[in-house]
Amino acid sequence: MPSSLATPPSHALMAGLFGLILLLVSVDDAHADAPAIATLDWTIAETLVALGTMPRAVAQIDAYREWVGEPGLATDVIDLGLRTQPNLELLASLSPDRILISPMFANLTPRLSRIAPVDNLELYTPGTDTWQQLRRLTRRVARLVERPAAGEALIEATEARLAQLRERLPGEQGPLLIVQFMDARHVRVFGAGGLYQAVLDRLGLANAWQRPTNPWGFSLVGLEALVDLDARLVVVEPLPVGVAKRLAGSGLWQALPSVQDGTSIRLPPVWSFGALPSARRFAELLTTALEDNDGV
Amino acid sequence: MASRPFPLPAPGRLCLLLALPLLGLILATLQAHEGPLQGLQALFDSSGRSRDALLLHYSWWPRLVIALLAGSGLALAGVLMQQVLRNPLAAPTTLGVASGANLALMVATLMAPGLLLHGREWVALLGGGLTMGLVFLLAWRRGLAPMVVVLAGLVVNLYVGALAMALLLFHQEALKGLLIWGAGSLSQTGWDGVVFLGPRLAIGALLAWLLLRPLAVLELDDASARSLGVSLKHLRLAGLGLAVFITGCVVSVVGVIGFIGLAAPNIVRLAGARRLGQRLLWSPLLGALLLATTDLLLQRFSGALPTLIPTGATTAALGAPLLLWLIPRLKLTGDQPPGMAHALGQRHPAPGRLATGLALLLSLTAAAALLVGQTAAGWQWLSTNDWGVLEWRLPRLLAAAGSGVMLAIAGTIVQRLAANPMASPEVLGISGGSAIALIGAIFLLPSPGNLTLVAAGTLGALITLALLVILNRRGGVLPERLLLTGVAITALFDAVRGIVLSGGDPRGQQVIAWLSGSTYYVDLNSAVIVAGLAVALAVAAHPFSRWLDILPLGAATARALGMRLDRARLALLLLVALLTACATLVVGPLSFVGLLAPHLARLLGFSRARMHLLGAALVGALLMVLADWLGRQWLFPQEIPAGLVASLLGGAYFMWGLRRL
Repeated sequence: MPSSLATPPSHALMAGLFGLILLLVSVDDAHADAPAIATLDWTIAETLVALGTMPRAVAQIDAYREWVGEPGLATDVIDLGLRTQPNLELLASLSPDRILISPMFANLTPRLSRIAPVDNLELYTPGTDTWQQLRRLTRRVARLVERPAAGEALIEATEARLAQLRERLPGEQGPLLIVQFMDARHVRVFGAGGLYQAVLDRLGLANAWQRPTNPWGFSLVGLEALVDLDARLVVVEPLPVGVAKRLAGSGLWQALPSVQDGTSIRLPPVWSFGALPSARRFAELLTTALEDNDGV
Repeated sequence: MASRPFPLPAPGRLCLLLALPLLGLILATLQAHEGPLQGLQALFDSSGRSRDALLLHYSWWPRLVIALLAGSGLALAGVLMQQVLRNPLAAPTTLGVASGANLALMVATLMAPGLLLHGREWVALLGGGLTMGLVFLLAWRRGLAPMVVVLAGLVVNLYVGALAMALLLFHQEALKGLLIWGAGSLSQTGWDGVVFLGPRLAIGALLAWLLLRPLAVLELDDASARSLGVSLKHLRLAGLGLAVFITGCVVSVVGVIGFIGLAAPNIVRLAGARRLGQRLLWSPLLGALLLATTDLLLQRFSGALPTLIPTGATTAALGAPLLLWLIPRLKLTGDQPPGMAHALGQRHPAPGRLATGLALLLSLTAAAALLVGQTAAGWQWLSTNDWGVLEWRLPRLLAAAGSGVMLAIAGTIVQRLAANPMASPEVLGISGGSAIALIGAIFLLPSPGNLTLVAAGTLGALITLALLVILNRRGGVLPERLLLTGVAITALFDAVRGIVLSGGDPRGQQVIAWLSGSTYYVDLNSAVIVAGLAVALAVAAHPFSRWLDILPLGAATARALGMRLDRARLALLLLVALLTACATLVVGPLSFVGLLAPHLARLLGFSRARMHLLGAALVGALLMVLADWLGRQWLFPQEIPAGLVASLLGGAYFMWGLRRL
């Protein structure tokens, strides 16, 4: 990833604050004998970390660091290998108390359940309210690791923070369009059913993307699909190599209203299929960016 | 090469016929925006500033122009390749140029992204050139005979595809943009693509025109061409070099577009354009019309979908049936005794002893694979108190060995049946067919279990088998036609995979994991079944060994010896299909064991069919057991699927063995 990311100045501060809250959240029952949890899913992994129960083992830790980033995994968390093919011998040798998976890995259930009880936690089910599902997910995970109080605390802290951010937002925000570049010609546009939409709803912001999305809450479209929409662009990094240069020469991109008047926003990477911690991080970053850019 | 006249109109009328719906589509789109006049105006300037004008000027018009350019470029490259190789099936995709470019861009994205900043097209060109070189190396010894070139292209395509799968398996998030590119999207955001491609194609067309007269000489046979004082080598090199350059330019702008390069020249030829000059004129025109019409139709009908339907993969998917239709119409040289390298490897004086030695080696390797491995604490011998680990290791060992045996036997039969060292069950497309069904199951059913997946895979394999039998029933089972059917089905599989993966759905990871061929999903019960099936089918293959001794001698000899050729071929084909389907369900469609094990066995000195089958089965089992174990240890705790390791190892052997083919 390029080092020249336009990170908002208060980013480090936010991370620090967030860490502090995590610490506070985890103090209340940190002495309980936490069960050893293994998980294949990054969304569950970040929830676990936020609950103050560091998982014993997670799949594809390097990629987690790159694509989810925060909240960070402790250095002694064991890497299980690929998410779709976790190393079963290794997993068995760790003898975890529970294995948490999402429906995507359902076909592994019979094998994993020979090692430890497997819990299949639903997330991003089409047709359900994403935020409510994230709350349910958090509660279920918290119950499974025997820390229901931490779950409630995490939900409350996140919702309170989001409400606070909503107050902080400068008034009269137009609709936003949240995109992530796949290459110089194609973007994922996030809409109904996704994490970003859930955050926008709670922040009271409007999403300009009202077209159908896939079960994960995004549509893959060519840049030309954005022309019709009168909205401020929010570009979630990372930008693939060479895209910035190619966009500079793209007539269509330059003609987009928010690019023309310089109000488009770039945000550092946030896991787009995350749970409450990612939601919160996205909300913090977005609010800060909207505040900073508002004077321009 | 296509000799019968066909009820197609002359090339000019055909193009006109296609141009009408295209024009209609263009007018309809413009009407839907601001009307034809304003639309035409938007082509030249966007100063109107309305949204519609912007969209038309920066996206719609450039996309139309790029579709026309890319279509004509690919068709031109196809004509050149087909002319130089005297092969109606040569095309940028069949020769591996496109897949090579794809792999090169993936490697560059991961290892040297700086390269992509200046000169994507050169990276693509280099990759495409290298893979095509590899195809020629494989086919060189057989004098670049059309069938061998196409088969070598298929093998290289599969191999390069396997490498790309390996990269995808570990870097799916980083490579998701390239998945779209690999499926060929024509979407444009300005005129830069046109400005890049236009002049290069113009130069390419000019050079092709300059080469017209010398290239026309290639329609004569080599001796007469040489007697006219033409340096064939240089001429071929120039023709192919030009074709690769054009393909590289097109591919680097819009990605991999399937089948235009193959279909347009062949349709034009079937429509009656015999001379090179005519084909050089009409093919690009037809290619441009085909691609632009497909693309406009796609834009019209896929607009409401939440995902992109890439044009390139769609043309490939539409092209596969076309190829299936084309195959019986191509005159293939069927029944001559093939000049196969029978002398491959010395015949061993005592193959029985050799087989015993191999079996011993296999048991030793199996024991080592069970007992040695890495854990969280590093390398360890299995101690007496953790026999529990065997619960994980034993099924994989059995499944690996079993599928190795099945693929090896299938490969031996196909190679002898087709009298072609390049044949293998992967090549027949049965693996591809069952893979298409599996992809469908993963994406269309909510959280499918393993039993469902197995059922879907078997169904796919059976449908492919039925297709193979139906298509090859008429006029007897010709080995070449059989293999070409496999080429078409594999192409269809590639297209389906491209469309599915380019959408960026997280479930794609699961598809990739299975496609790369792993023993991972096998539990003890199914492993025992696989191993048992392998032994049973191996025994079932035994009575066929007399046929297999005779078949490679050619159809005439076989008939003279009283064989009922068609029936024998059909029976063997059924056995192959069964073996392949079983093995594919375990290790995925991409392993090369079916290609390699028979080769290795022959090199070791097993030459009579009975011993060849036995030797290949042992080698296949050994190869897979070794690959499975290596794959689990190499990048611990990440597991490289056994099928991938086998093809990586096999690929190394293959390059080394090139000179023997």
